[in-house]
This record gives sequence, structure tokens and C-alpha cells, in this order.
Amino acid sequence: MVTLDLAQISVRDANTAMRAAAAQGEDIELVNPDARHHLGVGLVAPVKVTIRGSAGYFCAGLSHGARFEIDSNVGWGVGDSLYDGSVVVGGNASAIAGVALRGGEVVVKGNIGSRAGQVMKAGTLLCCGNASFLAGYMMYGGRIILLGDSGERVGEDMSGGAIYVGGRVQSLGADAKLAEITPEEYADIYAFLAKYGIAFEGGLQKIVNAGSKLRYGVNEPVSRPLSYTVAEEGTYWNAKVAEDIHAKALIGRYRIRGYGAAKAAPHFNDIALKIDPERIHAASDALATVNLKTTLGDRNGAKPLELSMPVLIAPMSYGALSKSTKIALARASKLAGVVENTGEGGMLPEQRAEAGQLIYQCLSGRLGWNIHDMLKADGLEIYISQGAKPGLGGQLMAKKVTKELAAVRGIPEGIDLRSPSRHPDIMGADDLVIKVEEFREATGYAKPISIKMGAGRVRDDIKIAYKDGFDFVQLDGMQGSTGAASTEVLENMGIPTLAAIQEALEGLREIDAGDDMPIVLMGGVKDGVDAVKALALGASAVAMGTAALIAGGCISCMQCHVGNCVVGIATQDPEHEERYKIDVQAKAIARYLEAVRWQIATLTKALGHSDFRQLSRADLVALTPEAAAITGLPYDPDYHPVEHVLTEVA
Amino acid sequence: MSCKPFSVDLSQDESGLPHYQPPPCQVACPIGTDVASYVGLIWEGKTSEALEAITATNPLSGVCGRVCDAPCEPACRRAGADGPVAIRALKRHVLDALGHDYRLPPVQPDKAKKVAIIGAGPAGLTAAQDIALAGYHVDLYEAQSRPGGMALWGIPDFRLPQKVVQDDIDRIFSRCPGIALHLNSPLGDNVKLDDLSQSHDAVLLAIGASAGKRLGVPGDDGAHVIDGVTFLNRVNGGERPILPKRVVVIGGGDVAMDACRTALRLPGVEKVIVAYRRGPEEIPARAYELHAAKAEGVEFLYNVAPVSIEENKGGVALKCRKTALGAPGADGRRAFSLVEGSDFDLACGLVIAAVGQKAVSLELARHGLMDGDKIFTRSADMGTRLPKVFAAGDAAFGSSTLVQAMFQGHKAAYYVLAALEGIAHPAPYRTPYRTRNAPVAQDILWEKLAPKEPPFLGLDKRDPFGDAEADYDARTAHEQAARCYRCDTETGSSDYTVKTRESIFALARPEAGPTEIAAITRTRLEKRPDLKPAGPATFDELVFLPANLTRLVIDPYREACKSATDLAGMKLAQPLLIAGFEDAPEAVAAAVAKTVAETGTAYVGRRPLPGLSAPWLQIVSDPVAADPAAAAILLDVGETTVLPRTRPGQLRGLIVTAATLEKGIACALEQRADLVVLDGSGALGAAWADLAGAPDLSILPRAVEQMRAARAEEAFPLIWFGGLRSGSDLAKMLALGASAGLVDVAAGLAAGGAIKPEGVDFTGVEAPEAGPRLAAYLKAATSECSMMARCCGKTNVHNLEPEDLRTLSLRAQAAVGIVMAGRKKIA
Repeated sequence: MVTLDLAQISVRDANTAMRAAAAQGEDIELVNPDARHHLGVGLVAPVKVTIRGSAGYFCAGLSHGARFEIDSNVGWGVGDSLYDGSVVVGGNASAIAGVALRGGEVVVKGNIGSRAGQVMKAGTLLCCGNASFLAGYMMYGGRIILLGDSGERVGEDMSGGAIYVGGRVQSLGADAKLAEITPEEYADIYAFLAKYGIAFEGGLQKIVNAGSKLRYGVNEPVSRPLSYTVAEEGTYWNAKVAEDIHAKALIGRYRIRGYGAAKAAPHFNDIALKIDPERIHAASDALATVNLKTTLGDRNGAKPLELSMPVLIAPMSYGALSKSTKIALARASKLAGVVENTGEGGMLPEQRAEAGQLIYQCLSGRLGWNIHDMLKADGLEIYISQGAKPGLGGQLMAKKVTKELAAVRGIPEGIDLRSPSRHPDIMGADDLVIKVEEFREATGYAKPISIKMGAGRVRDDIKIAYKDGFDFVQLDGMQGSTGAASTEVLENMGIPTLAAIQEALEGLREIDAGDDMPIVLMGGVKDGVDAVKALALGASAVAMGTAALIAGGCISCMQCHVGNCVVGIATQDPEHEERYKIDVQAKAIARYLEAVRWQIATLTKALGHSDFRQLSRADLVALTPEAAAITGLPYDPDYHPVEHVLTEVA
Repeated sequence: MSCKPFSVDLSQDESGLPHYQPPPCQVACPIGTDVASYVGLIWEGKTSEALEAITATNPLSGVCGRVCDAPCEPACRRAGADGPVAIRALKRHVLDALGHDYRLPPVQPDKAKKVAIIGAGPAGLTAAQDIALAGYHVDLYEAQSRPGGMALWGIPDFRLPQKVVQDDIDRIFSRCPGIALHLNSPLGDNVKLDDLSQSHDAVLLAIGASAGKRLGVPGDDGAHVIDGVTFLNRVNGGERPILPKRVVVIGGGDVAMDACRTALRLPGVEKVIVAYRRGPEEIPARAYELHAAKAEGVEFLYNVAPVSIEENKGGVALKCRKTALGAPGADGRRAFSLVEGSDFDLACGLVIAAVGQKAVSLELARHGLMDGDKIFTRSADMGTRLPKVFAAGDAAFGSSTLVQAMFQGHKAAYYVLAALEGIAHPAPYRTPYRTRNAPVAQDILWEKLAPKEPPFLGLDKRDPFGDAEADYDARTAHEQAARCYRCDTETGSSDYTVKTRESIFALARPEAGPTEIAAITRTRLEKRPDLKPAGPATFDELVFLPANLTRLVIDPYREACKSATDLAGMKLAQPLLIAGFEDAPEAVAAAVAKTVAETGTAYVGRRPLPGLSAPWLQIVSDPVAADPAAAAILLDVGETTVLPRTRPGQLRGLIVTAATLEKGIACALEQRADLVVLDGSGALGAAWADLAGAPDLSILPRAVEQMRAARAEEAFPLIWFGGLRSGSDLAKMLALGASAGLVDVAAGLAAGGAIKPEGVDFTGVEAPEAGPRLAAYLKAATSECSMMARCCGKTNVHNLEPEDLRTLSLRAQAAVGIVMAGRKKIA
């Protein structure tokens, strides 16, 4: 038994000492906890932890196997993403108790705050008192037992699991209904209560998903897109508009497709590289002489990601993409010495094994989020939104929620999966900083923590990201793609990638942030040419998603959402996935990345530099008035590249 | 009329078009067949248009539909997924349907010069057609009694019925009266090169390679040995000899496949064995032919080479030896060596040697034109050692495929025509590409449909030389055509265009070295056109700012935010009103009226719809026309001294346009109007006013500004009319200050109408469907509108505000006064 006094040491030191003691199998006692946050987060050993007093946010969060006992109250998010083990709270718990549980048992002797068990997937959350509103909000599985009153809108938008209420069901949430309880369930619940010494023999009401909102009534007719030029060459009421209205008149809702904004908006093509003919002659040895190496993520002392060139694979989920595709991307990223990203869907063991460096993304639904994969990751990333559909959560229909995918995400197989549009525990900037701190505590401050943001009010958002201490930002413009989103959101929500980088850099300048928080720019970066433009505009690196998929065989049919991807990329159907040859496509993606490297090096050299970090706005001109207005670059519509650019280097 | 046909007119090449990408199948086809278009046209059921696409560059389309080696198919991108599109079989499907009678109008010669072509095989016929279509006279000399060359004489009837060859040839001659065909006219007897050089302006030698090569082992000239080509020629000429029981075919190419399957069909034969000197991985025959031969019962012996042939009592003993394979040689084929001590005998009654063909011509040899067993030919200009004498086809470059021979025919014709026209240094020939822009198949199963071979009939003993393969039925052809990726078409994204996609593919190709990457990079550095279409700013140049960190995204996730709308006390379920339909058929108008009521919205028009129980906002030009039945009277004159009202409680309103804006708003303020319709189209009140096109968006912010200046921002609700297509368009106008929107053309389309020059046309629309469809559209548009609001962090669509918007163009910034994305303020 080790006793730690939080009046004497910091939380960080206490967590370090707890991990050390737990590794020796020692039980732990924390005295003078003073409602500090993050106590015991990331503890992965079957020891007993006794907290003599009250704990703050995320007590016992991200732990596995330990048995926590808190004498008094806890702040919000007790047992956050608990994998297994138990947490017993003697007093009350604040909001989102048992958030994102993946197993284990959270027992609160008193009352609990709102949204208890939000997005939980397994395990048991017991509250002996009353719950506040929205208990079981968007839960995917597991059970919540409320011996007192349920609170308002209990079970709102739950898609799996069950909620048992001993007191009054104040009101049912949307898409929730009452169901019969079997004697076996009663026996099981009573046994659970007895285990924790709780005397309760009353009746319960059971609440489950009503299934009324899980499926669309009418399927959208498959329609391979008309050429984008239809909208541009034709009249106002062109064939594309007519087709769109006809389709909506059939289905009665917005339409869905893959890819990003399809309409013309200011983009990299509207900017030219100002290559001086006098400087290009020496570019042929660029790969050997231009520095492309860089690092990302040590702003707060973490071990940075090492990049052989300023390129990352953009976050894309296993789920939207087939497992084979994720493996190919991981393998190619390793061959190229760049970084792969899990996207929303959790970490595949094969992906971890194949990728050299892997960023692990945490989304609102906490799908597949767990301490073990956090520890295996090379970087952690909090997803706020993406360029394709900022402001909305994702959706994955039951057809794609296969057994394996469900296991990785920690949810029941075959449910219609909905992701919330925001995190349960990030309501604003102040929550966000505490969340970042939780991840740092859980992983020993060793891993870079980044934020992924779709481009909206970037000028303001970037300041929050900076002040909340992120190691870097992944910034995604409206040209960024997705596997499925409303066409209206794709075309109308968010600002272009060019505007995003411009606002981000200006925002940081406005608070004199200097350049210690790198920005990884994405959203329609197609190759090394675009990458050089982005770098010259001030990005520290770029990320490529769609371009990497195309290099690996995607034919841009934009039908990703259907799930029958003809080349086996955006599908979970084994017959279709079989069409994707991992080895062939991994090599193709790797070759593409090498071509990108060649382009970045050669163009950097042709622009007269020896290091990509020397690229600057002086290397660019704007070709359209819009690009000039957005970027502030000189407007030179007549600029055209030197005829013999790069002829000598080949 | 004569002009150069497409195949030899490089200026007509369309591969430089910005939105067309010659697809891999087309590029793999030596004659550049517009595969993607014909496959797309087959799916559409436009068979005759597909036929035009097929035959445009291919004079032997019927032949190719049966026996082309189809290099397009392995090139097909879908080959890497679940199997290529059945390009050849689909071609056959079209030709079977229409090929027999297909004729194009004759093109009479209109030029004096004459060309002599020797050999009416695929190369000669192709060149003859090209040259004749350009207006020149052609004398086509054929050694045999019928034209067609190897297509006719070398390919057995069960693969290629002679009638199919004849249809193709008839088509050529009916189209090209300028071709004079001289049969039974081999070069050398009566047809002398010297004479032709005198009598004609150019000579093209396309004599083919029709002499079979010998095995080159002792006994290969014995009575029981025949070469494959001679064997096939005789059978195709009508002979049906009784053969010995056992026949051995030596070789592994297409001639060997045809010979073994032919032998199997002849009387007396019990067993046919193919002996090939390399292994099953190396055999050059097409997999399809190989499969067919096996399916019909031919046996294959691999890694076997003949060493001698010895006669024995009525047959031969074919002495063979096993081979061992070594490393690939310079030609990519693996070397082989004979394995000592592995000798064995194959007893048989006939040996067919299918080990290659050669060109033979004493006449040409006498002129010093031969180079071994080929005519010496420069591939750069198809010229020979004699001026004005050209060569093409198997005689020039060795035996190859049918489609290669046609390519050479086109290429030779190109250089012959250049010579006739006195062009000393023509641009190097390359196959031109064309697209017919066939629409992409909208087939719900296109991703799922599996490849399907045409039905294999095999060997029918009752009719041994009948078709071994059947045509697809119409449904299968339609399905197989649906499988095409349509690599040729522009994508739906102006960002990831077809050219961009191809450039990424090219960077990822195994053969992409620095030269290729540099070339691709140079193309990417070229200036792109500014894609912004001309005209006024549209809704597409406005975007919303989503909530991220600085504003909260609203929860719960799926709950729509509120969209109920109050227009001066008139309560609507959604901020979208309906106009138009006054000229629609009565039944449609009545159905729309019912939907307007059921969906809780209102109707705006000069007359109410039949049976309308929802609020009607009447448009009047003259106050005396005001109808007491209307919920509101909307005067469309822009300004007035008195806004009419026929009864207490009737709402008084005004329609203002860009032309009447300032006076109209001033009037509405002064008269205390209940509501104002802002008409961005300038045509509201006329039928389907929205067809005026892109609206003038600027009048909404100008109206708001004017009201604000008068300190009367909330004086009356503004209803926007003009160009609304979707809920997103509506949301943008709500953000700019409108309280609701009004649609006519969009509603007309939703109800099933189609845009015609005279308006929205409802021909063929079932009235009972029109109502539910309009209701579905309204629901979709409202949900889109609330989705925009939710993404911006709003719980009510009416809380959208100008600060939620940014513009994407300077003209939009000027029109609506909203700063461009990325900028802090309007400069």
C-alpha cells in the first residue's frame, strides 16, 4: 500500500507514482485529493485505489482493471472510457458519469448529473439516487441502472443497450421506448446490486431504443454524378439542378454522396509558383540536396512525429474505408516515412503493425477509443470537425457495421451507427483544455496531441487551439472529402482551404503566437505542386487523403456512401473488398508519395531554396482576383510558367 | 464530298479536350476505338449509335466482334477489380444486331490520283477505305478468289462465320465506289511492281504473311506434316478431309488454337494434342481461346519440343524432347533448353506445324524489297526501299493481330495520303481519339454486376463448324455495359477532375520515372482557366461558417431545429411558399393545392389553385382586382399611393424588384405594409418567373439596409423570390434577412415537371404523384435549411444571420455585402 498526498505533490507526479506503484502490484491511497482532475487516469493494473475525499474531472478515466473507491463526490466524466475494473463513488457524480464506458462497473451511491452514460458501449453504470436529464444519451450498448428517478428524456437517441429505472421515468427521449424485463434480467441486476451491498428489491422499468429513426424510409436512387461542367456551362436551371430536385422529391430528404465540395471555389490552381528561369537549372539533384525532413508535435515536450517530408496521410476511418485500404495506406506511409492516421473508426491491429507512425483520432462517439491503443499510438488527435461536413457527426449504416468493425469500435454488431455532432465533454474551450490534459496525464506527456478542425471561423478557432496547448493543428478546408455527407453541407458549409490557412496564420499573428504551433493543411491537396503552394502560404505540412486513395485505385465516382465501392475501397462487403489488392495498391500509393517527394524537392529547388521551410509567399502569385483577395498575394493573371520548367531535371 | 476519314486526320483528335480523357481501353486499342462511348450507348439502348462509334475507325467491326484479341480488355481498369468489361463481346452484340444491313452513303472519288494496293486483307482493306474516302481511286489487287486475307482464310468458321467477314467487306465496297477490286491477281504474274509504279501515284504492299514456317527438324517436309496456315486455308476454302485419328499440333499461338479446334471438327479425328515448347504460363494463345480448346477436348502437352519426324506405317512418330526453361531473354520470353535423355515418341497420323508465318514474294525479292521473310519497311513512314512504295501488315512487320494490321493500314494510308498531297514531312502518325460523350450508365447495380462471358457453345457434332460462342441476350448486354467505369468522362467534381485523377494515377504508375513525373508536374504548373462562370453572383458563391470551437454545435444530434414561420400573423409550418402552377394542368394544380394545405404552407399567384384551402397571397397589378378570398394582396407595381385591402384582416403587401427597390421599400414603410416580396428575378407574376435565371441577390441586403436606415428593420417580413433551388439557398436568404422564400420552378420540377422553352411542362405527369413529390421536396428543403442552421449552432432557422455567411467571390461580396472567406473586412 502506497499513500500519496496531493497536498504535497502535483497530479502529474501523483499519476506517475501511481503507475509505478501499480506496476509493483501495490494498492494506493490518495489523501487530500482536493477535487483535483484526472486522478488515476490511464492506470492499467488490477490494484485498489482509495481516494480519501472528492475527485475532480475524469476520475479513473481511461483506466483498465483497477478498483477505485472515492469516499466523497466526483466531478464530471467519472470512469471516462473505462475499459474494465470498477469505480465506486460514495457521494454524488457530476455530468456524464460513465461516459463512453467500454466495460467495467461504475457505481454512484448518490445522484448523478446530466447525460450519464453518454456514448457508453458496454459495462454497467449504477446510480443509487436520481439522474438528471438525458441519461443514456446516444448510448451504443451496456446498461444503466437508475434506482431513483430517470430525469428528462432518458435514453435519447440511444441505439443499443438498456436503461433500468427504479423510480419515476420522467420522460422518454427521442427514439426510446419502454420494454419488458425478463426474470433473468432482474436476477442479474439484483445480483449486481448485492455485490456492491446495495439493498434494493423494487421493480424497474426498462428503456430501449425504439428503432424509429435508425433507417431512411426510401433509398436514394443511385446516380453516378453528372459532369460538374453541366452546372457551369448550362443555364441556371440546368440538368444537374433538375436531377437534384427530382431526387429530393422522391426521397424527401437531403441527398448524400462521397468526396468534398464539387463546385468551383478559390483553390490552389488559382495560385502559381513563381519559378525564376535563372534558378531552375540546378534542380535535378533536388532529392539529394533539398531538406524535406521535419518534425511535428514537440511544442509541449512530447516525442515528436518524424516526417521524411512535410506530408501526412489524412485521417480516414476504417469503416468509411475497407480494412484492406487502411492496411495499404499504413504500409505506404511507412515506406514513405510519413504518418498515418486512424480517423474515427478506432485502431486496427494490422494498421498499427504496418504503419511506421500512427496518429490515433478521438471523436465524439469515442468509437474504438481506449487506453491501450492510446499507448500504442505515436500521436493523439481530438477531432472537432472536418472540412467536408463541419458541424455534423458521422453515420454508418448497419450494413457496414460488420462483426470485426463493431469489435474495433467497441459497439454491438449490426447497429445503425450514429456519431454525435460534438464531444460529450467538450462544450467549449475550457473543457477542451481539460480534455487535452486528461490525455497527457493518461499517456505520461509523451505523445503529441493535435486537433483536427474543419474550416469555419478559423481566425477565432485557431486562437483557442493555441491557448489550449495543442502541439499542432490539422486544418481542413471545404475541399476536403468524406465517405458520406449531405451534398448541401459539402457544398455550402465551411470555407475553402486557401481561406483557412490565411485566417489561421492571421489569427495566430493577432495574438503574437509566433510559429510554435505548426499547421498541417488539408482539403484538396492533390500532389507535390499543391503541397509546395500550401507550404509557401505558411503551412508546416500538408495531409492528403483523397489523392492517396486515387493513387490506390479510387476512380472518383463519388459513390462512397453506397458501400458497394467498385474498386473495394469504400466498402465493408467482402466480395467488393476482395477486389482491392493490398500489395498492389500499397506500392502504388508509395510510388505516388515518392513522386510527391520528387515534386516538393524539385520545385523547392527550382524556386531557389535548399529547405522546404524557406518557401514563402514571395514564391507565389495569384491568378484570379479571388485568390488574390483571400491570400493577399499579388494578382498577376497573365503569369504563366516558364516553358522549359523542369525539362532539364528529368 | 470527300475529306480525310477520322483515323488519318490527326487534327480531329480530341484527347486535348479539357473534360475528356481517352480511357485505358481506347489507348490500348491500336485503332483508338471509342469503347467507352459505345459501351455507354449500348446501356442506353442506342444500338445504332453504338454501331457508328464502333465502325468509325474499324472497317472490320464484325470480324473484331468475333475474333479481336481485344487488348482493350486487359487494359480495362475493372480488370484489376472483378474482371474487365466484356468489350469485344459487346461489340459483337451490336454487330450481330445491325451489322448485316449497316451501310453508309457512298463517297465518290473526286481526285485524279490513283493508288495501287496489293492484298485485300485487313491492312490492305483498311488503307483502301481510308484512301478512297479521301477521294482517291484505289486499285486493290488480291491473289485469292475472294477478299479478306487472313480474316477470311485463316480463321475457322466456328469462330468467324464467313458471312460476317463478307458483311464487313460489302460495307467497305458499298461505301467506297472508288475502290476497284481485282481478284485472282497475285503480285508477279500479271501484276508487276514496275507497271504499278508507273500507272499509280503510290503503291502499298499489304500482301500478308501467309506462308507457314517449317518446324526446322528432320522430316518436317514429310507427307504427314502440314503447316497451320495452309491447313486452315484449305478448310476455310471448303475442304473437309478425313483426317487420321490422332493429330498433333505444334505451337502455342492463335493459329495453333484455331488449327487444333479445326482438326477436332474434321471427320476421323479422335484426339488432338497441342505440343508447346514452354509452359502453361508462357503460352501466347489468348486465355479465352485456350479455355475453349480445352473445353472442347484438346489435350495440351507443355515443355515439349519436336526433334524429328519419322514416317512409320501410315503415320509418323514425332520424336520429342522435354524442355527446361531459363531466364527471360531480350524479348521478355524465357529461353528454353532441351533436356538430355528425356526423349519420347508421340505417335500420330498428322502433324500440324503452327510455329509462325512468313511473307513470300519473288517479285518483291527481285526488286530488293525483302529483308528475310519480311518487306523492309520503315515504321517511321511505312516506306520501303523504293520511293512511293509503302508496306503494311504482316508482310511488313511480321505476323501480328488483326487490329494491329488495321492500325498499320490506317498508318500507311496516312503516309500515302501525305505523299499524294505533297506533304514532305508529315507529323508523325499517332492514333487519334474521339469521344461521343455518351452519358454514364445510371444503373443501380453497376458496382455489383459480375463479369459474364458470352455463352460458350463449343463443339456441336451435328454442326461442327457452327458458332462456338453465342451472342449475349439483350439484358445481359445491358448489364455488362453497365459495368463500365467510364474512365473517359468528366467527374462530378470541379476539384478532382478527370484530368487531375489521371495525373495522380500517372504519378503512381510503376513506370513513372523522373521524366514522366517532370512532364506531369509541368502540366500541373500550367495555368488553369478561371472556372467562375460569367453572370451575376449566385447562391453558390455564399458559404456558411460552421460552429467549431468558438460557437457550439447544437445537440441533440438528430433533432431538426425549428422552422415554423410567422408572416405578419400568418402561421406557416416552414419558411417556404409556393408559386407557379397557374398554367399547369388542372389535375396537377389541384394536387399541388392539396399539398400546399397539407404541408402548412401558402400559395402565391394571380389566381388561387383549384380547391386551395391554404392561404392564398394574391398578386395584383391593379388594386381593383384584389380578391376578398385572398389572405394577402401583393401589388406588383413597385409603389403605390394606397395598398389595397378588400376586407379587414387582409394582409397588404408589395412586390419589389431591383428596378423598384428603393421606392417600393419606402412606399411599404410609409403605407405600413404587412409584408414585402423581394423579387430577385424581376418577373414574379409572369408564368414560371424563375426561368429568368440567376436572381439579383443584392436587393435583399439593400432592402434590409434601407429599412435599417429608416429604423424600421422589423417593420414587415421580407419574402424572397428568385432562384431558390434547395434548402441551402433558402437558408442563405434567411441569414441575409428574409423571413421566408418563395419557389416556382423548383416546385414545378419537384411535382414532376420538366423545363421546356415555353415553361414547365407536365406532359406525362401523373397528378396523384405530383402532390406527394412536392411535399417530399418541401420536407427535404426544410430539413436542408435547418441542417445549415444547426451546423451554424442555431436552434431555429430564423436565427441565422449575416455573420454566419462568407462569400467566395468578389462579385458576391459586392452584391450582398458579406466579406469573402479568409478576409477580415471588405477592402
